[in-house]
Amino acid sequence: MTQADLDRDDVQLASAGDHDAFERLYRRHVARVTSLARWLLDAGEADDAVQEVFIRVWQKLHTFAGQSAFGTWLHRVAVNLLLRRRQSLGSSRRRQVNDEVQMLAAAGASERPDLRVAIERAVDLLPAGAREVFVLHDMEGYKHDEIAEMLAVDPGTSRSQLHRARLLLRQQLAT
Amino acid sequence: MSDRFTAQLSAYIDGELDDLSRARLESHLAECLDCTRTVAELRAIVAAAPDYRGREPSRDLWNDIERRLDEPEVVPINPSRPAVQPSSRPTMQPSRSRFGWRELIAASIVMAAVGGGAVWVALDGTVREVPTAAAPAPITAEQQNVEFADREYDAAIQDLELLLARGQNRLDSATIRTIEQSLSKIDEAIIEARAAVQRDPANAYLSRQIAANMRRKLNLLRVATQAIAART
Repeated sequence: MTQADLDRDDVQLASAGDHDAFERLYRRHVARVTSLARWLLDAGEADDAVQEVFIRVWQKLHTFAGQSAFGTWLHRVAVNLLLRRRQSLGSSRRRQVNDEVQMLAAAGASERPDLRVAIERAVDLLPAGAREVFVLHDMEGYKHDEIAEMLAVDPGTSRSQLHRARLLLRQQLAT
Repeated sequence: MSDRFTAQLSAYIDGELDDLSRARLESHLAECLDCTRTVAELRAIVAAAPDYRGREPSRDLWNDIERRLDEPEVVPINPSRPAVQPSSRPTMQPSRSRFGWRELIAASIVMAAVGGGAVWVALDGTVREVPTAAAPAPITAEQQNVEFADREYDAAIQDLELLLARGQNRLDSATIRTIEQSLSKIDEAIIEARAAVQRDPANAYLSRQIAANMRRKLNLLRVATQAIAART
């Protein structure tokens, strides 16, 4: 049975109010949602935000039509909520890691067990603007026009930040 | 490696270059090992990125989440019957409902206490099922402002509380106690949501939560005072 099959069954049960089924959904998806929260918000905000995401998902479960995978739908809900939360927190509280030197200095510490894990670690250290666009575009599959609207930036800015993020990641992964 | 071409590599990978630019870049790639390697490495990053595993939160959040799953949620607003009309004041006219006042109070208490809209009991006597933990019905900020302006709300609440205080001796003590407990819970929910809104003013969900709880309180008071009026 694939994860999509398990999700589909548990969504059905959870929609009828089954907490155990919803806990299974939570446990299967919480790690990715937590990473999203850490990348789009400050790490200190992540736990609260993740709770909010799953409560929101519980409340909206009956609107999930099953046309996409549950994980895809969950991530859409999560990204929308996280970005709204980010807006309300204001830019002053957002993590700003603008010093690329910091990223490159930290690169030597990563053990790189495989590319996916190495990328996840490297994303943590990207400058905020590049990280947000990389997460939304390459990890979550949003288009530049959508990202521009979500982040209130120009689509050209989204493209340039994505390119910058990819080059920085490549640079770090090469060390 | 050429800076001129390096700047185009992401757009190339994403298929966003026009035909001419792509042809020029591909000609360059045929001759430039550095750029070819960079493209391969970028492609590997792009291919691996969606499959990130994620990291567990710093602690297990499930118990906290589960505790909040059945907290009151927004009750859908029926546009044809606004729950609160600022321009109108509650009247002491007996309800036209085919239900007795005990049923109305009980239903309102269920509605207020359970949340999520188990049952919506309309004062015109209809009973409608609404989904549990329903998503908020579309409502504009303007509607909320009009319907739930604090000033109007406070005035309506004051009127109803006064009527309830004057007439509560007409209700039995168990009913009064239940009403008071429910009102207290609703007040706590409103205070909590208002505090949360202060921390997160842009959060429309919290604003709707406040509005929904205000409406619950008004409805409960209205039903209670109508019951008193019916027994006058």
